[in-house]
Amino acid sequence: MVTLAIAKQTLEDMLRRKILLILLIVAVAMIALGPSVGFLSPRESSAVLRSLGLAVILLAGLLITVLTGIQVIPTEIERRTIYTVLSKPVQRYEFVLGKFLGGLFTVFVMLASMGIVFLGVLRYQEGRFSPDMVMGVIMTFFQMMLLGALAIFFSTFATPVVNFFMSFGLFIVGNLSSVTESLLENKNVATRAVATLVHYAIPNFGNFNIQNKLIHPQVVIKNLNMFIMQNVAYAIIYSAVLLILAIIVFDRREV
Amino acid sequence: MAAAVSIQGLTKTYLDVWTKTEIRAVDRLNLEVEEGEVFGFLGRNGAGKTTTIKMLLGLIFPTEGTATVLGKPIGDIGVKGQISYLPEEAYFYEGMTGWDMLDFYARLFRISEPERSKRIQKALEDVYLDPSAWRRPLRGYSKGMRQRTGIAQALINDPKLLILDEPTSGLDPIAHAELRDIIANVGRQGKTVFLSSHQLPDVELTCSRVAIIHQGKLRTVGKTAELTSGDTVEIVYKGGDAALLEKIRKVVGAGEQSNGLGRVPGVAPKDTNPIVDLIRGAGAEIVSVAPHKRTLEEVFVDTVMKETGS
Ligand SMILES: Nc1ncnc2c1ncn2[C@@H]1O[C@H](COP(=O)(O)OP(=O)(O)O)[C@@H](O)[C@H]1O
Ligand SMILES: [Mg+2]
Repeated sequence: MVTLAIAKQTLEDMLRRKILLILLIVAVAMIALGPSVGFLSPRESSAVLRSLGLAVILLAGLLITVLTGIQVIPTEIERRTIYTVLSKPVQRYEFVLGKFLGGLFTVFVMLASMGIVFLGVLRYQEGRFSPDMVMGVIMTFFQMMLLGALAIFFSTFATPVVNFFMSFGLFIVGNLSSVTESLLENKNVATRAVATLVHYAIPNFGNFNIQNKLIHPQVVIKNLNMFIMQNVAYAIIYSAVLLILAIIVFDRREV
Repeated sequence: MAAAVSIQGLTKTYLDVWTKTEIRAVDRLNLEVEEGEVFGFLGRNGAGKTTTIKMLLGLIFPTEGTATVLGKPIGDIGVKGQISYLPEEAYFYEGMTGWDMLDFYARLFRISEPERSKRIQKALEDVYLDPSAWRRPLRGYSKGMRQRTGIAQALINDPKLLILDEPTSGLDPIAHAELRDIIANVGRQGKTVFLSSHQLPDVELTCSRVAIIHQGKLRTVGKTAELTSGDTVEIVYKGGDAALLEKIRKVVGAGEQSNGLGRVPGVAPKDTNPIVDLIRGAGAEIVSVAPHKRTLEEVFVDTVMKETGS
């Protein structure tokens, strides 16, 4: 109950932030205006619309997630609102979890809003519902959950500005999983060592990008459900580990 | 009576990043606050009051020493349900309404409905927050209204111990007086109040006992009445002439006469009888022999100046 109360407060606080609303409005406008890119054949246009929609949702989701994750805890300390909260019968782990969940709810609300507009536009353009795109948005959500947990962990010891670059940097490196995977076979021992470290220690954000697989049917995924379940489990377990680390650091932190 | 707060050798050192020197914000502090008293914790800016309070609440960790709050070690979650805290220049979520803010804190105290709404209403009434402001965002509150809401927040769990860090600083005189009365009222309800302040007249009015800290060290602790009661008396008499005044001045080095009244301040106990004898011997009439009371401010200034050696 305490954790949920903190999550609710965090969600309401974040939804009052103008920057997030602006990001949402811009993203929704881009998705809605997608169909007016009018120089393509119907088949091409469908693929472009899907790529564009998922890309916009990913990009906006990325900014929203990082901006939320880097600030939910530091803002409490900076505005000194944390004093009244932590002097109540609130365990520090409840505080960290509440902040994480509040951020996650925020990202969920934002992604869901964009996703609904996106699906609506597709339905209007193509005259039918696209369940595969729902999957695409859900994958983005779990990818963002992992990124959010990473940003929360960094926020327990890094300043928001440093955290912004750390989170973004790791997101980019983590998206190159296919590159590091290929380097695992490299002949050079040093290259192999670095690639192994990067491949296994850094969250594998690339795995969640099923857009290509969804949009280009020639790429075959043997068992889509299995693939999705694996990624969801990966996101949850990795996030849990990051949150435990965040709690360990935050427990010793002076506020 | 049991101790509400018991502090043993509490020490907090900070490292000054620029000069690489150690700052002893709190230095081997020992203190006992009894249950049910309104206790004044006095000190100048930077004396170490806030640092002490934050250690008691587990927000920062002592370098050395220990403390118990309501009989349990620092940070005990069960105890946190029975205490409350109003931080110095309290900060709250600006977008929330007063009511929602109290609802949030009541949830943190695990108070469920319908009890929660009742408590919120009572707390807001207890601090006389204008009901038309209850559903407005804190953003539009005046400093006095914020501070009232802050006290309401500290009353929501019906605490045994309230820790208030300079609750009246920065308020206008009316808001200030009202807030002081609210705090005095809380004290009359039998709750223990640990009041950090440098508003000495307030403390003198509301606190039964005070401690003075300076540069992190405890300098004085005692009952307010005892600290302010001086050991000299003031003697006033009627009649008498310049010769009498001259004789009195020879004994105590002070005294004045005007409008037929003589006044002799700061008479030490050993001089009281001789002066009275002098006055009566000269055929004048004793009007009063009254103990001279020092203000807390004088006590404070004396204590702090003595320690500074200036
Ligand atoms: N986080 C900190 N880092 C370094 N020095 C600090 C810190 N917090 C407080 N201090 C220093 O500790 C001393 C006591 O501060 P404080 O407890 O806030 O005093 P008070 O509340 O009595 O005004 C001051 O000299 C202050 O500068
Ligand atoms: Mg202070």
